[in-house]
Amino acid sequence: MAMGSNKTIVCIKPVALSASGGAARSADSYELNPFDRPALEVALQMKEKRGSPVIVLAMGPEPSAFVLNEAMAMGADAGILLCDRALAGSDTLATSTALGTAIQNLRPFDLLLFGTRSSDSDTGHVGPQTAELLDLPLVTGVYSIDTLENGLRVERRIDDFREEYEVPFPAALTIQSGSVRPRDIGLLEMVPAFEEKELLTWRLKDLGLSPESVGEPGSATAVISLSKAQRARTCEFLTGSNEEQVDRLLSRLLASGLL
Amino acid sequence: MDTLLSEKNRAVRRSVRSFCDEEVYPIAREIDREASFPWEVVEKMGKLGYFGVQVPKELGGAGLDTMSYVLVIEEISKACASLGLCVTVHNSVAVFPILTFGNEEQKRKWIPPLARGEKIGAFCLTEPNAGSDASAIEATAIRRGDRYTINANKVFVTNGGVADICLIFARTDPEAGAKGISVVVAERGTPGFVVGDLEDLCGMRANPVTSIRLYDCTVPLKNLVGKEGMGLKIGLAALDIGRTGIAAQAVGIAQAALEEAVKYSRQRRQFGVPIARHQAIAAMIADMATQVDAARLMVYRSATLRDRDKPFSQASAMAKLFASETSTKVTDMAVQIHGGYGYSRLYPVERYYRDARVTRIYEGTSEIHRMVISKGILGG
Repeated sequence: MAMGSNKTIVCIKPVALSASGGAARSADSYELNPFDRPALEVALQMKEKRGSPVIVLAMGPEPSAFVLNEAMAMGADAGILLCDRALAGSDTLATSTALGTAIQNLRPFDLLLFGTRSSDSDTGHVGPQTAELLDLPLVTGVYSIDTLENGLRVERRIDDFREEYEVPFPAALTIQSGSVRPRDIGLLEMVPAFEEKELLTWRLKDLGLSPESVGEPGSATAVISLSKAQRARTCEFLTGSNEEQVDRLLSRLLASGLL
Repeated sequence: MDTLLSEKNRAVRRSVRSFCDEEVYPIAREIDREASFPWEVVEKMGKLGYFGVQVPKELGGAGLDTMSYVLVIEEISKACASLGLCVTVHNSVAVFPILTFGNEEQKRKWIPPLARGEKIGAFCLTEPNAGSDASAIEATAIRRGDRYTINANKVFVTNGGVADICLIFARTDPEAGAKGISVVVAERGTPGFVVGDLEDLCGMRANPVTSIRLYDCTVPLKNLVGKEGMGLKIGLAALDIGRTGIAAQAVGIAQAALEEAVKYSRQRRQFGVPIARHQAIAAMIADMATQVDAARLMVYRSATLRDRDKPFSQASAMAKLFASETSTKVTDMAVQIHGGYGYSRLYPVERYYRDARVTRIYEGTSEIHRMVISKGILGG
């Protein structure tokens, strides 16, 4: 994939819309992780400002390539799907291994962007781990960006603090989800996104990775069980006249310290 | 039914649905109530390509297929039928005739701003004395030197209050009967071009439907679309695709009504259970869902035929007839399921009920459609 050396790579996660494991998955059942959309928006704004092409990279089963088409409909120039049976069961470390290897093949680039976390498993690991594997300077939770001659000045907001950093290219950033409003997907780029722009599928052999380094064997952690958390909630009906009910409600709220 | 859609079609549907959920549905009730046209949202829709769905890319459109087009219309209409109407009329009966019958100069001049929604189009055929019988129009466009002088009284013009580029059906040869009818473009702002008052309609209230009157309005001869005498041919070709659009709109309204009815019947409790558990209500839901599905399949068939360059006129007429009648039945049942609340403005189903009704009337009444369809079968 020949593109300018000033390109931006955005890692996006296809997340399944329904958690029912047994259901047959079609393209429609994946969506672009909402927390990755701001990262894509930042890349598209950089493209408008600097003319830096945008490549979107995702890992998932075949039908999840749909989210790459959607990203291209938003304005990304090309997409790459890492897709191989051996990748199934990867934890965040194995995922970072696969993404990092793919990104290594895409050098040179200026910028590598991630969301801060995903809507289906809230770890926030993948961005920092991948940056570490690639030995890139990393700023997490980036809120705003100014372009410098050969790098960026970025503002990070975390825990009510604002920090400013200057990072040289190539750099990795995770983008705070509330920092920009991602653009709507319009119709004008639909035909190019599905019929003209390049969408590649890379298998494990294309990455030159062994099956042992990814999937369950390449993972440092394993999910032992997964179930829906039950929140204990009780509902109590107050009785009596309206006045009595209000009195009871007030005394209950006062006793609980809520008022 | 989704198996009939390409991935591109699904992406189109998903993107429009998400835009409409966020930007269109939340204002639909208010703009209906106030009979106001939501310029701000329309501008956004223009930037997203909704006003040039099938316009080629080089003229500023999205260059999509008919299937994508009907999905766009269904989704917008589901959120707000008045806006769905604006978009379908603009795309099918204003943009399409210029794109198909216009010359290169006309296309380059009018299509890009229309495709971006910077200018809105309208189709001016109906007159006080000519509706179903389009050949009875009285408007004239008389050639004088290098200009036409147009006199016309057009009524029930969809988008009339906001349209910049109007396709006027008028007699260029008053002696030649139906063969003397032509299409001439008149632009808003031309001296003698008068926009009448808003029609006070029972539904589609956020669409500025008005009369448009032309009093000795002169336009250059190069504003003629196609050739003189081609008016009815152009009109019928536009209505072929227009009817598929209206059918898609009717499906969108019916789908909205069905979803509201399902939601309400699960919430509303009578005799100790949600009313959805009562057989009479459950059967209504089954009938509604079945009819909406059937109507949608007919719309998809018409769109598919057109995308494959097959004759689709009959399929389009059947889809329009069935979908519009389905829409009025389904919205009626949705009101019934809501009981007294369905007749109240507290719930959106009364709006769907009012909006659906006109789909059986405009772009050819159900009666005209039965005539067209039976002619296709019986000949003559």
